[in-house]
Amino acid sequence: MTALHPLFALFIFPAGLFLILISFFFEWLDRKLIARFQNRQGPRFLQPFADIFKLLAKEEIVPIGVHRTLFMALPIFAFACVMTASLYVPFFGFKAAWHIRGDLIIAMYLLSAMTVCLGMAGTNSINRFAVVGATRTLTQLFAYEGPFMLALLMPALVAQSWTISSIADYASNHTWMIVTQPIGFIVAIIGLIGKLELPPFDAPEAEQEIVSGALSEYSGRGFGLFKIAKNVELVIGLALITVFYLGGIVNPLLFSIKMVVLLCVIALMQSTLTRLRIDQTVGLWWQAGAILSLAQLLIIILVRVR
Amino acid sequence: MTDNLIDSNKSQKYIVPIGPQHPALKEPGHFEFTVEGEIVVDASIRLGYVHRGVEKAAESRTWTQVLYLVERVCGICSHAHGTAFIQNAEALAGIEIPPRAKVIRAIAGEIERLHSHLLWLGVAAHEGGFDAMFMYSWRDREIVMDILENFFGNRVNYSVNIPGGVKEDITPEFAEQLRIKLDFLEKRLKHYLDVVNDDVTFRARTVNIGTLGKEEMTRLGATGPTARSAGITRDIRVDRPYSGFDIYPINMILDDHGDLNARFVVRLKECFESIRYIRDVLEKIPEGELSVKFPRKIPAGESMSSVEAPRGELFYFVRSNGTENPDRVKVRTASLCNWGTIVSAVAKGHKLADMPMILAGIDPCFSCNDRMVNIVGKEKNAQLWTWEQLRKYGINYHAMQEGFNVSDCGIEQLREEK
Repeated sequence: MTALHPLFALFIFPAGLFLILISFFFEWLDRKLIARFQNRQGPRFLQPFADIFKLLAKEEIVPIGVHRTLFMALPIFAFACVMTASLYVPFFGFKAAWHIRGDLIIAMYLLSAMTVCLGMAGTNSINRFAVVGATRTLTQLFAYEGPFMLALLMPALVAQSWTISSIADYASNHTWMIVTQPIGFIVAIIGLIGKLELPPFDAPEAEQEIVSGALSEYSGRGFGLFKIAKNVELVIGLALITVFYLGGIVNPLLFSIKMVVLLCVIALMQSTLTRLRIDQTVGLWWQAGAILSLAQLLIIILVRVR
Repeated sequence: MTDNLIDSNKSQKYIVPIGPQHPALKEPGHFEFTVEGEIVVDASIRLGYVHRGVEKAAESRTWTQVLYLVERVCGICSHAHGTAFIQNAEALAGIEIPPRAKVIRAIAGEIERLHSHLLWLGVAAHEGGFDAMFMYSWRDREIVMDILENFFGNRVNYSVNIPGGVKEDITPEFAEQLRIKLDFLEKRLKHYLDVVNDDVTFRARTVNIGTLGKEEMTRLGATGPTARSAGITRDIRVDRPYSGFDIYPINMILDDHGDLNARFVVRLKECFESIRYIRDVLEKIPEGELSVKFPRKIPAGESMSSVEAPRGELFYFVRSNGTENPDRVKVRTASLCNWGTIVSAVAKGHKLADMPMILAGIDPCFSCNDRMVNIVGKEKNAQLWTWEQLRKYGINYHAMQEGFNVSDCGIEQLREEK
């Protein structure tokens, strides 16, 4: 790939504006796939774009009892976190817009910061649904974060680098890691579902109990930014797993196909499983997820030592 | 300092209000769950948002008109309401309807049960966050709705009953069409039963949730599938067979687990039983007239009748004073009997996340069960107002709000004279 001008890479392509636009496509695909799995029609192609466009133009209502500055700042901060994280991730077969040593840790930290922002947004309000939602969001964070992080660190261990780009290079030149580390791949995929609070791990925003969870009080621009942040997080997560486990950086078309296949798997799980309670989610992660990823870690260490 | 500590202890408990408007509720009702973290420690319920005064309205309509009115008490079990009412009217008038009409009433009731249970299956799955089942079961429910529309002309308030019989005959062509559709439906229902029994995540949300033993259920007066899921043998179709079920009996479906999963299983198995019943009875509908003449005026008297609606026992009391209109119509729906099992027994100790599913578990129907109760008891401040007094109070109240005295300008007198 020819090197792109750094500023162009930062703001337009592959990170920045292009990423936001492509995230609409992925949201649409996710919704459409679930709809088709559930025997519905699903949204039109431009629906997610129209949703965000409308939300950004709408009035943002600041409810009584919240810390005003925090209320306004949190969506922007969450959005900024995710967009910054995206700089270190190679999208669609293009090199990452930026890379420094140990940027895998930075990217993961920034993605978690976005979830913490969600939790803070919930606890900031006096709305009881939001408070319960925020509690669940943060509880769930502690549940999936460990295994998910381990699942993404294992390729790093194998590649002996904490830099996403070098892991990507390693992955392109070796056997697909889904073959060598199947358990890590499964944990990573399920961890991504947990991270994005999609069904069956959508207890933090279970509409039947707590309306919209931590974001119950958000409207207009703030809600729109959170929504964009989540969409971008989905693309980042898919891209990371594809790069790490499905053969590193390849040509854009093939890379996109891999991401779409991953999304299909996620959509299938979303539409076929019942929502788990928060205690069941935590139990599942600590009983199965953590032990599985630790076992995988042990295998890697043993193999490498030998 | 100690005060603060006590306060902070207290604040760990707080109330999560659900309703009157809430995504989980398709009809307005208000629930308050006191929670400690995620655990519900207390629950209360407030109903009455959709009280429509149907009982009062019935008193100023003729017998035929009331039949169509009570069918609109509930959109889902409209046939059960119509049957329960008209059975009373026919008993008071001393009419025996032809056996063919009786059987057609029973078949319509079973088709209605199918559509009600499929609707419930979808809603209950949706409350647990299992939207795929919701979408599929509602798609299959459309088949039942098509049957109802093709046969009775309406999807919802199909008015099979007329005073003294039924409106529509079951033709051989329709019976054939019905059989084909029931075959498909049975296949689908088998699939749902498999999901309910085998799906791991679904069972994790339903097994041993909302369990209530046989004794507790009996004490709280549960009816319908809710009671039968705990092993209580209570089914009006079997205990006191009414139109059609006295000619061809139906089997009672029981389960002894008493949890949420048992309620799914009982309702699904009831669907199979309904399909079997319809199939069997279609073979041997008695020949004869569809209706007999129904008098305009009914002799004075009182009558009671119960019908097994999809949700449980539906009870109607009717009093006639010998005129064209009923003197009093009293309705008691099954939802009202079943509320107690949730609020006073099941809710406490469960997680907040289980509440929507537990609530949906009794198949609540809010607008059916909203009645006005006038309690004239020992309390001194209970008042009985006549219509005149109420009207006078209203005029005075609004005049005060506007800031002028009515007695000065004589409006009150003018109205009184009128």
